[in-house]
Amino acid sequence: MECPQENGDGAELIVAYAARALDSEDRAEFERHLEFCARCRDVSSAQRALWLALDELPPLRVSSNFDAQLYRRIAEEQQRSWWQRFLPAEWPCRPAIPVAAVSAILIVAFLVKDSASSLALQQQPQPKLQIEQVERALDDMDLLKQADVEVFLEKTAPREQI
Amino acid sequence: MNPEGMNTPSAQPSWTARVNIASATERFLELDAELMLRVRDGDQASFGLLLEKHRSPVIHFVYRMVQNQAVAEELTQEVFLRIYKSRGSYEPTAKFTTWLFRIASHLALNWIRDGRNEKRQASLDEESPDGSAKQVPDQSRTVEQELVYRAKLREVRQAIASLPAKQKAAVMMHKYQEMEYAEIADVLTCSESAVKSLLFRAYESLRVRLAHMA
Repeated sequence: MECPQENGDGAELIVAYAARALDSEDRAEFERHLEFCARCRDVSSAQRALWLALDELPPLRVSSNFDAQLYRRIAEEQQRSWWQRFLPAEWPCRPAIPVAAVSAILIVAFLVKDSASSLALQQQPQPKLQIEQVERALDDMDLLKQADVEVFLEKTAPREQI
Repeated sequence: MNPEGMNTPSAQPSWTARVNIASATERFLELDAELMLRVRDGDQASFGLLLEKHRSPVIHFVYRMVQNQAVAEELTQEVFLRIYKSRGSYEPTAKFTTWLFRIASHLALNWIRDGRNEKRQASLDEESPDGSAKQVPDQSRTVEQELVYRAKLREVRQAIASLPAKQKAAVMMHKYQEMEYAEIADVLTCSESAVKSLLFRAYESLRVRLAHMA
């Protein structure tokens, strides 16, 4: 028999041998090989020891209320409304979290909208100044100044005469 | 040393034995599918039978993956809850156990991936109060033998815990559920050669780590 570790079948054969999963013919052939192949013998021995060590792990004693808890969860599931069933199990049930999330979304939306509108204002073309209006306004201001001076002179003149 | 010379009973049936019980296994598989179809039609008692039959294998598998009894029970309940919720759309296109262990391994791998086990990995001692299973002392052992046994168990658990999650899942299904490579590949949704690669690397790591116990 060719050494299985040379032809690539070694790992599978050794694992099956340690698990006593080989049929009698394959097992006998492999045992004949083990008699003169120290390498396969060592690996097989280690794998068999590992197999037995894994057997040592004791079984678990399931909690007595396991089924009751499961059926309670099933009952809770059946009481959920149809739209809640589409939500993942980890979906937050406390209202503070979704309320905070919605608030954050609204704040962000408001800020985005505000900055967009100010940007739009900046980009809007400025209205052209009406030159005539400016000139008229300047003339009006001159008239007002003159009127003020005349009123002032009228008020102050009699005092000077006195 | 010839490993066959060890005077210990085997927990594994031979391939021949597996072939001999194939028809019985197929009947069981048909029974699972039939029970699930009844669950689909509203028969609660059939769900109870499926739970009774598969509760222990699933919980042991998940426990060996997550190393915490409370988490294992919670995740196993989630497995059966998902089975129940999916009853309406169930079609017996694949083996029931493949479906069952696919959900179980998915939940366990997600739990490990999310790092929710970090706090619990500090101690893998069965006596620890972190949720690991309590070990009842064997009355047939002396105190010294009991201590040696517990130290050995702790080492085996730590060696298993040190494996990458997918390798661990493959070993648990191969060793404890006696699944064939093809079925493990179905559960882990990968190729048969990928499963062999995962398994042989895992066994090699475990052999190295537990070599002193041989």
